[in-house]
Order: sequence, then structure tokens, then C-alpha cells
Amino acid sequence: MVGANIKGQIISGKFGEIVARQKSDSEFELGEILVCENDSSKIFLQVYDLQYGSQVSQQNLELISGMNLEENTNFEFLDKNLRNYRIALLKNLLSIDKNNPKNVTLSKSLPEMFSNVRSVTNEDLSFLNKPKNPLFFGNLRSGSHELDVPIYLDGSAVLSHHILISGTTGKGKSVLMSDLLWDATSKDYAGLLVLDPHNEYYSGSGKIGLKDHPSKNVSYYSVKNDVPGMKSLKINIKVLRPQHFGCLDFSDAQEQAMNAYYRDYGIKWIESLLLERPVKVNFNDATINVLKRRIMYLLDIDIGDGQVYCNGIFEFNAGEATISGICDSLENAWTIILDTSSFSGQVELLVGSLIVNEMFNRYKNYKMHDELEGKPIISVVLEEAPRVLGKEVLEKGSNIFSTLAREGRKFKVGLIAITQLPSMIPRDILANMNTKIILGTEMVQERQAIIDSASQDLSSDSRNIASLDKGECIISSNFAKFAIPIKVPFFDDYARKELAISKDKGGVKNNNSNTKKEFMGLRE
Amino acid sequence: MTEKLKFAHMADVHIGSWRDPKLKDLSTEAFSMAIGICIQKNVDFILIAGDLFNTALPGIDSLKSVVKEFKILSEKNIPVYVIPGSHDYSPSGKTMIDVLEEAGLLKNVFKGKIVDGKLQLRFTKDEKTGVKITGILGRRGTLEKLFYQDLDLAHLEKEHGKKIFMFHTSITELKPESKSTMDSTDVSYMPKGFDYYAGGHVHIVHQYSFKEHKNVVYPGPIFPANFEELEELGNGGFYIYTNGKLEREELNIKNVFKMNVDCEHKSPEEVYEAILEKFKGKELINTIVLIRASGKLRTGKVSDINFKEIMNKCYSQGAFYVMRNTVKVVSAEFEEIKIDDMNPEDLEESMIKEHLGQVKVSRFDSDKEFNISKELMHILSSEKHEGEKVYEYEDRVRKEVDKVLEL
Repeated sequence: MVGANIKGQIISGKFGEIVARQKSDSEFELGEILVCENDSSKIFLQVYDLQYGSQVSQQNLELISGMNLEENTNFEFLDKNLRNYRIALLKNLLSIDKNNPKNVTLSKSLPEMFSNVRSVTNEDLSFLNKPKNPLFFGNLRSGSHELDVPIYLDGSAVLSHHILISGTTGKGKSVLMSDLLWDATSKDYAGLLVLDPHNEYYSGSGKIGLKDHPSKNVSYYSVKNDVPGMKSLKINIKVLRPQHFGCLDFSDAQEQAMNAYYRDYGIKWIESLLLERPVKVNFNDATINVLKRRIMYLLDIDIGDGQVYCNGIFEFNAGEATISGICDSLENAWTIILDTSSFSGQVELLVGSLIVNEMFNRYKNYKMHDELEGKPIISVVLEEAPRVLGKEVLEKGSNIFSTLAREGRKFKVGLIAITQLPSMIPRDILANMNTKIILGTEMVQERQAIIDSASQDLSSDSRNIASLDKGECIISSNFAKFAIPIKVPFFDDYARKELAISKDKGGVKNNNSNTKKEFMGLRE
Repeated sequence: MTEKLKFAHMADVHIGSWRDPKLKDLSTEAFSMAIGICIQKNVDFILIAGDLFNTALPGIDSLKSVVKEFKILSEKNIPVYVIPGSHDYSPSGKTMIDVLEEAGLLKNVFKGKIVDGKLQLRFTKDEKTGVKITGILGRRGTLEKLFYQDLDLAHLEKEHGKKIFMFHTSITELKPESKSTMDSTDVSYMPKGFDYYAGGHVHIVHQYSFKEHKNVVYPGPIFPANFEELEELGNGGFYIYTNGKLEREELNIKNVFKMNVDCEHKSPEEVYEAILEKFKGKELINTIVLIRASGKLRTGKVSDINFKEIMNKCYSQGAFYVMRNTVKVVSAEFEEIKIDDMNPEDLEESMIKEHLGQVKVSRFDSDKEFNISKELMHILSSEKHEGEKVYEYEDRVRKEVDKVLEL
């Protein structure tokens, strides 16, 4: 008698391509996790492909179908469940020693022929412990079925070794990012800098957003200042250095001219360039004119009556402490959101480059003086990552973001790169992204780029990735034992649940919450 | 603003801030000069955006001179609108600002009530011009931030007419780099659409217009309050707003001559010579001389630099006052101490150990010297107990010191 929870039986195949026959009253799904047990171990398997099987020849099957369709014959098989069935191709995931459940290893053997496979249960997954610095990604998913098993990875390791989030538009990248930000904001092991070109993380989509986070360790910078508590994004021009423009497409001659002005005029180099003050090195007039025009456009500056006027976020007269303030907050494990929705892509990258440069230099300095330990991880969230990490961009030279991708982890500064086009990012950079969160991706080329650089062997998962529905993803990470299928929670539901938990606990205390509010000194 | 409107905006007067009587008088003198200019320029009213006094209860002499000025303004029918600042605010409400208001010499515009947990400010209307003024006081530790977080902005924004908002806080977006770690309030917490935002607290001279907050102005102090400010600002000043135009009035009551001396790899004698060289032949009459020295000496200690003689020479050249800053001078004898993550107590112990034996006392061995130093530091840092009178406090400290020193 076959047990009630049995879903199928192993019938053939080889390691990594195990063939199982589906029990007639069950249904296998792509990505489903199955367990095959014997006396000493449990082997975890995952469905990566599905097909039909039949005891009837293909020719006869076609004939039967023809009779059904053309002659309205109601053809029925004798013992149809025995003769026609479905086959699943399974790959090995893990093996657990039943005598020592903590002994979880990558599976290296085949289950016995005719072993039964069953659905995975919460109990089977008790080995999934909460790490020291937990970062919540979602609940474990088996096929399309969400299990009540929260998945945490070590946030400090994952964030410092970079994360790539890939997936087609609408598959849930932003929801996932919102969940991650909400969770990380509650923790003191990481500070997150978010360049938010869609202005979606702070206020949310008219509902709940990071503005509602109980810890209040969130700063929001925007060109608007219509909501109390948001900071008006102003950056003083004197903090700009030629190197900050490295992530933008300036010619060699233009870069040399910028450097020459900086050498001669120091912090007043931009003003001097715009007012065409002389420099010791001679440059072609055309070079200076183009450079001047580009910088005026980029920084939204006008010149009139021998004076420079600022119209945008870059100012001569404000924002001196903005960059250092942001970096200080990041060092205190705050989440900083920059609303870049009204910026051109180039301005967004320039602002990002400014902050990341400052932060990276600080952390390099800490490392040099043995002061890095105890500092939180800094993670920079970058949308449409190929803008700065794309092959074409990097062929023209490296920038602070590619430097981070290559060596940031040594200094506890990581990237969360979000893209729907991972194939545009060079292989060596992709390889440095040690955690990949893969959402549904229809394009073969993009799937392949991810599969080729994943931390686990996903060579058989192309179809699985293509079939991932909204909110379904796979996490492939150096810090996970296997490529974990996840169901990303809807942000509103997740945040509300967390808010309720926080309220029950009496709320997360922030710096000011202990101060008794009294309006002393107020007279009627 | 109305075409005929003219008002003065000053802040951070800090009457009574300098300990030295000569410099203390300068704050009062500068204030007097400012009031004189306001009268001469016939302003409609004066705004003082916090810290008129350096303490909530200033000394009688300081008070007397300020009251005299306010009396003149009152006679000239020039109203003064103020908010208490972080220095002259008092949680108990016992502040001289209240006394002056009761006497009708000024008006504190931080007025309002709490409605449904929100701070609903009330406008004070200037009778002559019809301008409506309100504001939020400053508190120590930037605690006024909490007031801003509960401020009923809509109530203020819907008020029609010409409006001025007074504040005594640092605005995040306008903080200078040198004060980047200073706690601050985001401009978004302030009501939008006012005609003028009269600031104080940060001793900077700054004016800026945000998209929704035009004319946000810090006038700087009336007279610099410390060495750094004297170096940076030279003198104090304030603004006069006339028919939409802002003009700065500098209060040049003294000349300031500042010098930077590099002590790196120099002996105290060489530093002495270098300083003399810098003011050789300079006219120092009516001048405040600022000497800032930095760098590591090749030999000797900071105290070996003959500043006494330097000062004498400056005064003989007519200097009004000479100040020195040697914080960044490192004596040759001292080695750099690595602090790591020490708490203040560990750091103190480390510093005491570093200097043990420098002063020879026959009956103290190094252990005893260490213990006595620690105990003395503890006793001398004790504060006056609540309800303890000053003479009782002094007596207690003296007795405890005697006991430790076995006197």
C-alpha cells in the first residue's frame, strides 16, 4: 500500500537527471521540492522538467486521439492510470543524515530505484536555521506552493558580497527590494543607500512605505520638500571632484581639462571652468566649450553677468554637509533613500558616485587603521545596473560601482544591482555577485547569463526560471546550501504584519523616542 | 512683503558670553551699535532669533545695558520680537526674556497651544506693518526638533498676509561642512510659504531660498562668541530687510589680526621668533590679535613658548586683546596615545599613567600618585547636589580634597 502523501516513484535516470513517475492522484510542478527517504538519510530532489509517459506506442496514441477528435469515439483505456502517466525529471539538492540531522550535505548519491518521493514538509526543513545576522527573503516555495518556512541568509555576508536581482518587468523586483529594505532597516548590521529612480520605496504606492517603518532609521532625500521629515536634496558644488564624473561618458580630453582646473583652482574648479578662468595647461577651445556646456547641463547651472546661478540640486550656497550627513547615517546603519525620479540618469549616477566614493574611502580608511570591525555593512541599491556595470560602459574605463563590485567586499561595502538584462554585465562582475535572486525571466539570453554565473548548478533550471510567476524567485548564493526557491511576500502584507509585531513588542525605540514630549516654554 | 516694510534681523547676541571683562563688554558694545543702526535706519521692528543672553538669568551689569537699549527702542516705538534660544531658554520658565516681556520691552513670539497633540502656534501681529510673526524657540541639545515634529503646519500655512517665521535651530540642508555632525532640523518641518524665515543658533552668515521656503536667513552673531568665530567672522553683524532687499550691516567694533604659526619641527624659541616676525611693524591699535599655532615641536613643550613676552609685545604695539590657540601643538616630550575604544575612565587612567612622576612629591610613590590623581579627578568633577548651596558645595569639595591629600 502506497502512503497517502506519496507523489511518485523513482524509475530511472542518472545523477542530476533522475526520472520519477507521478502518482495519478498527485501533481508534480516545476520547481517542486520532493523528498526521498531511506533508513539512514533523506534526499531532497527538485523537479526541473515534466513530460508525458505511456505504455502505449506513440503511433497508437496518435490514432486514439484521431478517433476521439474525428469520429467522436469515446475511447477509454482499461487501467488508464497504469498506462498513461506523467514523468518528472529531478535533480539532486541535498542529503540529510537521519541520525545526525545537522549533517546536511550536497547530495552525492542516487536514491534506490523505486524509492517513493513525497512532498517536502516543514519538519523536513528544520535544518534551515536563522543565522546570526538574519536577512529575510521570503518563505520557501515548492513549485507554486508556499511553505510556512521563512528563509533567512546571513545578511552581513550576503550584503557585503553583492546581490544581483534579475527578472523581467512586473515579476516582483521592486516588491522584493521593498521587503529586503524593510527587514534590513530593522537591523543594525547594515546601512543601505537606495538610489530610487521610481520614487517607490519611501512612500510606497500610496499605501505603506519605508516612511512607516517603526525604527525611524530612514532618511529620505528629495528635490521636493512637501512632506515633513523629508530632506531637501542639495549638494554643494565644492564637494564635486573630477573623479566623480568617472561614471559618466566624458572624453579623455574633457577629463584632462577637468583635472587641470581642479589642480589650479581646487574646490572652485567648476566655477572657474564655467567662467573660463585661465589654466596652466592649454586646451582646445572646443574641448572647454563642450565640457562647460555638459557640466552646465548636468549640474543645471546658468551663467549671467559673470555669475553662476544654480537651479537644481547642485548649489554653491547650500548642501555642504549633505554627503557627509548621508555617510554618517549609513555608518549608523540607517537606510537612506534618494528620490532620483526627477533626475536624468547621468545626474542620478553622479549623485550616487559622490556618496559611494565618500563612503568607500571612509571604509578603506577604517580598514587601514584597523577600525572596520564593528562598522555596519554598507549596501548600495542600484536600479538598472548595466548603466554603470554594463560591458560597453566598462570598456571605457572603470567607475566607483565597478570598483565596488570587484573589491567592495574587502571593505564591507556591497552592491544590490537590479536589472532585467544581466547579460549586459560582464562575466567577471556577475561572478562577483555572490548572491543572485532570480525572478521570472522569459528571455533565453538573460536566463543563460544568470545560469552561467550562479553559485549553484542551475544548468537544468532554464525552463523553471522561465516559468517563475510574479513573486516567485530562486536564490542562488554562496551562502546557501542549495538554490532556494522562494515566494516573495506582498510588501503591504509583509510590512503590516511586521508593524503589528513591532506594536505588540512596544515598538522599536529610536534615538528620540525616549524623550518625553513636553512643549515647555510655550505660552498661550 | 509690503513696499514700506523695513525690519532688522539679528540673532545670537550672547550678552555675557565672554568671561574676560574686556571682551564681555564688546558683545554689549556690538549690540548697542546694532540698535543704534536700527534706529538710524528707522526700521519698523527688530527680530532677535534666539540667544539674546548667554544664560537664562544674565548678570545685572549685562542686563542693565540691554534694558537701556530696549528702553530707547520702546521710546522710539520700534517693537522687538524674540524667541528664546538654546542659551537663554529655561525649562523652568525662569528666564529674563519673560521679565523683559512683562516690562513691555519685547515680545516673545513663541506662543500657541496644544490641539490634539499638535503644536498650534499663534501669530503675533506687528501693529505698524500688519506683518504676522511666529516661531519656535531653541533648546539645548536641539530638543526643539520635537516641537517641529508636532507642529501643525497647515494651521500656519493657511494664514493669509505677510508672515515671518523665527527659528533657533540648525537646518540640515544649510549646515556648513564644519558643523556637519551638529544635530539639525530638516527644512521640510518648517511651514511653507512664509515671506521670511529669521534664523539663529548656527553662527553663520547665510541666506538661501528653497522652493517652498524663500528667504531663509542666518545673520550670524552680533559679536563672535569664541576664538574660532573671531578667526572666521572677524566681527559680527545683522541684516536689514528693506522693501524686499536684504542688506548686511557689519559691526566692525575692533580690528582683528589673525596669524597661523607652523610649529612643525621647530623649537619653542624658533616659534617665538616666528610669531614676533609675523607682527613686526604691524599697527595693532584697537586690534584683537589671534595667534593659532599647530604642529609638533622639535624640542620642548608648548609651555616653553614664551607667550607672555609675545603678548607683552603685542600690547606694547597697542593691541586691544591677544588670544592664542595651541590645541594643535604637540610637545616633543609627549608620545601619541592610541585611544582605541576606551571609555572615558580608561582614557583618564591611561593619561594619568602617561604623566606619572613628572611632578616629584617626596611622600608619593607612583601607585599612590595614580590613586590620588584619580580620586582628585573624581572629587573635582562632582557637581553641586540639588538643594546644596554654593558655599556648602565648595566646603564639601574642599573637605574631600583635604582628606585625599591627607592635609
